[in-house]
Amino acid sequence: MLISFSWLRYHVALSDTETPDAVADKLKLSTVEVEGIVRSGQPLDNIVVGKVLSAEKHPEADRLKVCHVDVGNEELDIVCGGSNVAVGMLVVVAKNGAKVKWHGEGDLVELKPTKIRGVVSNGMICGADEVGLINRFPKKEEKEIVDVTSLKLKPGTPLAAIVGSPDAVLEIDNKSLSNRPDLWGHYGIAREVAVLTGRPLKPYVVKSIKKGSGVNLSVSVAEQQLCPRYMAVAMSVTVVPSPTWLQEKLIVIGIRPINNVVDVLNYVMLDTSQPLHAFDARHLPDGAIVVRPAQEGETIVTLDEKQRKLTPDMLVIANKEKPVAIAGVMGGLESAVKNDTTTIVIESANFNATAIRKATTKLGLRTDASARFEKGLDPNVCETALQKAVEMLSAINKTFHVVSEVVDVGKSKRSPQQLEMPINFFEKKLGVAIPPKTTRDILMRLGFGVKEKKGQLLITIPTWRAKDVTRAEDIVEEVVRIYGYSAIPASLPVFPITPPEKNTLQTLERNLLDTLVKEEAFTEVYNYSFVSDKQIERIGDTKDRYLALDNPLSSEKPYLRRCLVLNLLENIVDNSANRVEIKLVEVGKVFRPEEPGMRATNNGDELLPAQDTYLTAVYTNKKDQNPFVKIRQALESLTSVLDAGLIIKPAKEAGIGRHPARNADLIYKGQVVGAIYELHPAASRNFGIDSRVGVLKLNVSKLADQWQPPKAGYTSLPSYPEVRRDIAIVVKKDVTFEQVEKTLKQADPLLVAYELFDVYEGATIGQENKSLALHLTFSHTERTLTSDEVDKAYQKITDNLIKKLVAEVRS
Amino acid sequence: MIMEHKLEELKKDALQAVKAAKDKLHLEEVANKLLGRKQGELTILLKGLKDLSDEMRKSAGQLANEVKQTIEEAINVKRNTFEAEEMKTRLVEEKIDISVPALPKKTRGHLHPNTIVQRDLEDLFSSMGFTVLDGPELESDYYNFTALNIPETHPARDMQDTFYIKGHANWVMRTHTSPMQVRAMQKYGAPLRVVVLGKCFRNEATDVRHEHTFYQMEGLVVDENITFSHLKGVLEIVAKHLYGDDTQVRLRPKFYPFVEPGVNGEVTCFTCQGKGCRLCKNSGWLEIFGAGLVHPNVLKEGGIDPEKYQGFAFGFGLTRLAMLQYGIDDIRLLESGNLSFLEQF
Repeated sequence: MLISFSWLRYHVALSDTETPDAVADKLKLSTVEVEGIVRSGQPLDNIVVGKVLSAEKHPEADRLKVCHVDVGNEELDIVCGGSNVAVGMLVVVAKNGAKVKWHGEGDLVELKPTKIRGVVSNGMICGADEVGLINRFPKKEEKEIVDVTSLKLKPGTPLAAIVGSPDAVLEIDNKSLSNRPDLWGHYGIAREVAVLTGRPLKPYVVKSIKKGSGVNLSVSVAEQQLCPRYMAVAMSVTVVPSPTWLQEKLIVIGIRPINNVVDVLNYVMLDTSQPLHAFDARHLPDGAIVVRPAQEGETIVTLDEKQRKLTPDMLVIANKEKPVAIAGVMGGLESAVKNDTTTIVIESANFNATAIRKATTKLGLRTDASARFEKGLDPNVCETALQKAVEMLSAINKTFHVVSEVVDVGKSKRSPQQLEMPINFFEKKLGVAIPPKTTRDILMRLGFGVKEKKGQLLITIPTWRAKDVTRAEDIVEEVVRIYGYSAIPASLPVFPITPPEKNTLQTLERNLLDTLVKEEAFTEVYNYSFVSDKQIERIGDTKDRYLALDNPLSSEKPYLRRCLVLNLLENIVDNSANRVEIKLVEVGKVFRPEEPGMRATNNGDELLPAQDTYLTAVYTNKKDQNPFVKIRQALESLTSVLDAGLIIKPAKEAGIGRHPARNADLIYKGQVVGAIYELHPAASRNFGIDSRVGVLKLNVSKLADQWQPPKAGYTSLPSYPEVRRDIAIVVKKDVTFEQVEKTLKQADPLLVAYELFDVYEGATIGQENKSLALHLTFSHTERTLTSDEVDKAYQKITDNLIKKLVAEVRS
Repeated sequence: MIMEHKLEELKKDALQAVKAAKDKLHLEEVANKLLGRKQGELTILLKGLKDLSDEMRKSAGQLANEVKQTIEEAINVKRNTFEAEEMKTRLVEEKIDISVPALPKKTRGHLHPNTIVQRDLEDLFSSMGFTVLDGPELESDYYNFTALNIPETHPARDMQDTFYIKGHANWVMRTHTSPMQVRAMQKYGAPLRVVVLGKCFRNEATDVRHEHTFYQMEGLVVDENITFSHLKGVLEIVAKHLYGDDTQVRLRPKFYPFVEPGVNGEVTCFTCQGKGCRLCKNSGWLEIFGAGLVHPNVLKEGGIDPEKYQGFAFGFGLTRLAMLQYGIDDIRLLESGNLSFLEQF
C-alpha cells in the first residue's frame, strides 16, 4: 500500500524535523514494514509557464525551431525540437539554472545557456515527462512538448503552482498489514504516526447526511451474517473529470483518476480504509438492492470486462433480476457509473471477511476492496465513509445533492469490547516493568479506553481494533511495540542443569555421514523430496506406490520420494561431464504410505505415512566394472560407528533397480536395515549413465532404534611370539569367501587370525577359478610355538581346504 | 735394533701413503696393504717378533703397538674426512622439488553448507541444554496450522502457500518447523527447551532468491517465568555466536498467529558492521529470524496450562543463514547437486 506523506500531514500536525524518513523509521520499528520511500515531484525553481510569441524554422536544422517566448518578466529565445510547438501556445519553460530530467530519464540536469547548431538557446521548452507532468498530460508522440494552454495561466506563473508541492510516498508491505484492517487507509496510519511522534491526531469530522427525495431505495440483506451492515444513498451528479487537486492526490499514490464519482469513492477508501461502490441508478429499477448468495449458473461481466461464473458460496449485490456486483470484490460493468450517469447509488457496506477471502480465491480476483474486506473491517466506519463521500461530492459541485433517504441495514452501532487484566501482567510477560502512566498513555493515544481498579486494568477496545485485539497478550503487544522493543533489556532464563535428552537418530546420522565424507571422500548433496514419473519408470518402479502432491509447482515432479536413489542418479548424470569418479551421499526422509508413521492429531487414530530417515551413498567410476567392492569398502568404514553388529547377507528379495547377482542385505540385530548393491544395468541405461553404479543405503531411523555406540574391547596382548605364514589357494569361482572363512575357523585352534590380502582371477589359473591369498597368524597363550607345531597346523589347514573346498594350495 | 728401525721406517712410509690416498677406495687399499690380516706389511713384520729375545721382544713389541695405533688412527682420520665429503656430496645430489604437490592426489569429501551451519547451531543449543528434534516433513493440517492458532479461515493461511497431498485433504508438506512446537509440548510437557531443525516446503516458484524447499531452525522454551526479556537474551546469544560479539539485535513487530507479541529480528549487518551496504540494502540490518511469546492458544493445544506457564519461540531460516555466511547468491545451487558448488565447502 502506498501512503502519501502530505496526506498524512493533513491528519497529523508534524513538525519539519519529522521527515518522511524519520516517520518511516518509527513506523518500521513499531507498526509496519516500510519497504521504501519514493519522492514524487522535483525541484521546480526557474520553471515557469511561457507563451510562444513566434516560432521560426532553425536555419541549420529542419526539425528545430527558434522560438521567442514570453516568460512574464522577460522574453527568451529558445531552440525547441517539439513537434507540436506553435505560436500562441502556453508551454512550460525551464530557464537557465533550472533542473530537469532530460527526456524524462536519469538524474536531474541543470540548464545553462548553450548554442544549438549555431543558435543561442536560453532555456528549454519542456516535455511532460521532463517536469513531472506526465500523469496529467500524457504524451501522444515522442517529440511532443507539454501544451498547458488549457490551464489559462499567465506567462511567468511558476510551475510549482500547477503540480503542487513535492510529496513523499511510503511503500508499505501489505503482508505486514494482514492483521490490521484499520491501517488500510491514511487515517489509520496517521493515528499510529500521531502516537509515535507525540503529535495530536486531528479528529475525523464529517457531517451527517441530509436526506433527499426522488429515489426510493430499498435494501434487503438475505444473510446478515455475511453482510453485517449495508448502507446506501442516492445522489444526483454530473460525471466529469475530478478537480486537479483530487487527481493529483490519487496519482501520487498510483491510482489512475477516472471521473469525479469514482475518484471521490477511491479517495475515501484510501483515507478511511472502507471501500465504497457506486451504481448507476438506472440499473437498480425501483431502487431495489438485494444482497444475496449468487444462484447456481449466474454470471456477471465485471468492471474489468471479464465474464465471471458465480457460485452459491459467493455473495452478490443484485437488482430485481440479476447480480450487479460481486459483493466486496468488484462491480459489474453494466451497472457502473458512466459519463451520462445522472443518479448514482453509493454503497458503503461491511462483508464477512472469510466469505470475501474464499470468493477472491475461487475467482482468482483480488482488488483493493477485497484486500480490505478480507481483513475484517469495522462496520462503524461504513457510516463515516459514506458521510465523507457525500460531503466531498457536494463540495466538488454544489449542484450535486442527495435524492434519497440513507438506507442502513444492520445499523445498530457496534459497541466496543472490554477486557480486564492485572496491571502486573506487563511485567510478567515482558520481564521488565513499564511505568503504569506510560502504559495508560500509550493505550489511550491508540484509542483504547483505560480504567484502573484494585490492581486491574479495565480496557475498552476501539471498534476498529476489535479484530486483532482480543486478549491481554494483545494489549501487551500494543504497549511494548510503542514503548520500544529496544527498551526491553535482554536477560537469560535460569534452568536446572539437566542434560538434554539424547537424540540417537541425530547422533547416528552425523557419525555415519562424517565417516563417509571424511574417510571415504563422499560429498553430501541435498535433493528435493519430489520425483518424476519418468524417474519412477526408469528405476523399474510403479507410480501407484507413491504419494503425490495435489498442487505441484510443475507437473514434472509431483511424487514424494520413497528412496533417495532416484535423485542421486540424476545428480550423477548432471555431474558426469568432466568426472571419472563420482561419490555422493544424502541423508533425508522418504515417504512410504503403506507403513504407519506419527499421529496426525493428538487424540485421533489417523496416522501419517512413515517418514524414515535414510542415508544413501552412490559411487560410480567410469573405469570400474565392479563398484560393489568400493561401496562395500565404504560400508566397512562405517563399522567404526556401527560396530561389528552389522551383517552382510545375500539379498532375500530382488528389490527394485538392483543387479540380481550383486545385491546384499544389511542386517543389524536381526533386522534388515539397508542394502548394498550394484544398480541394475537396465536402470543405469534408462537414466543415461554409461558407467556402473554402486549403492549403499541405510535406514537410519530403524538403526537408531537398536543402536548403541560401539565399545572398543581390549584383549590382552599376546605373551608369546606370534608366527605368521601366508597361504594362497585356488578355488572355483562359486566358492564364497564365507565358506573359506568357515573352513579356516574349524581347522586348528593355533590359528588365531587370518586376513585376506589378494584376490586374483585370470587365464593363468583357469577361467573357472579364482585365487585367494591370506596372511595366517598362529600363536599359543601359554608357550612359544615350535616351528614343528606351526608346520603341523598349517598342514591341517591346507588339508581341510583341499578336502572341503577342492582347493589347490599354491606355494 | 733392526726391528725397531724397520718399524720406524714402516711407520714413516705408512703415514705418507695414508696421507697420499686419493679417495676412500685407495685408502682402503693402503690400509689393507699395511694392516691386512695375512699379507699386511705390519702384520708380517710383527710375525718376526717371536724370533727375538724376551727383552728385545718386549721393547720392540711396545713400539710395534704404538706404530699400529698411529697408523690406524691416521687411516681413521683420513676415512672420516672422505666420508664427510661423500655425505656432503650426497646431500647436495639428493635435492628435490618441494613445490610439487603430493601425487596421487587424495580426494576428500564435503559436507553440504547447510549441514555445516545446522550443526553449528545444534551444538550451540545442545550446549545450553536444549533437546534437538526434527519431526515429520509431511504433516497434518492440524499440527501445521490449526494447533498453531491458524484456523482454516485465517488470512495467515494465505501467507503460506502450501503443498497439499493428493487424496489426503488434511495432509500437507510442512510449511515451517513450528508444528513440532505442539508435538514437543504434547510429548514432553513443561518445562521445555527444544530446538527443531529441518526441511520445509512452500508452493512458490523458484528463482535466484526463492525456493520451494528450504531449511529452518525453530526454538521453543516454556517454563513458569519465561519472559520477552529472556527471548531477547537468547536471540542475542545466537546473533553473537554467528556474527561476533559486537553484533546487535533489533526487534520489530511482526504478525505470526502462534506468538503474541510477535516480532521479526534483525542483526547488525556483518559485512558493513551496520554502516549500510548492498547485502543489507543500505539498512545496516539483516533480517534473520521471527520470534515471539508463545500464544496461549498454542500452549493450550500442547496441553500446557497458559495460566501457569509461558514461553517464547523463535525461528531462523537456516538456508538464509548459509547463504549469508558463504555469500551464496543463488538459492537454487543448494539443492542442485552440483559438485563444483559443493566441493567449495
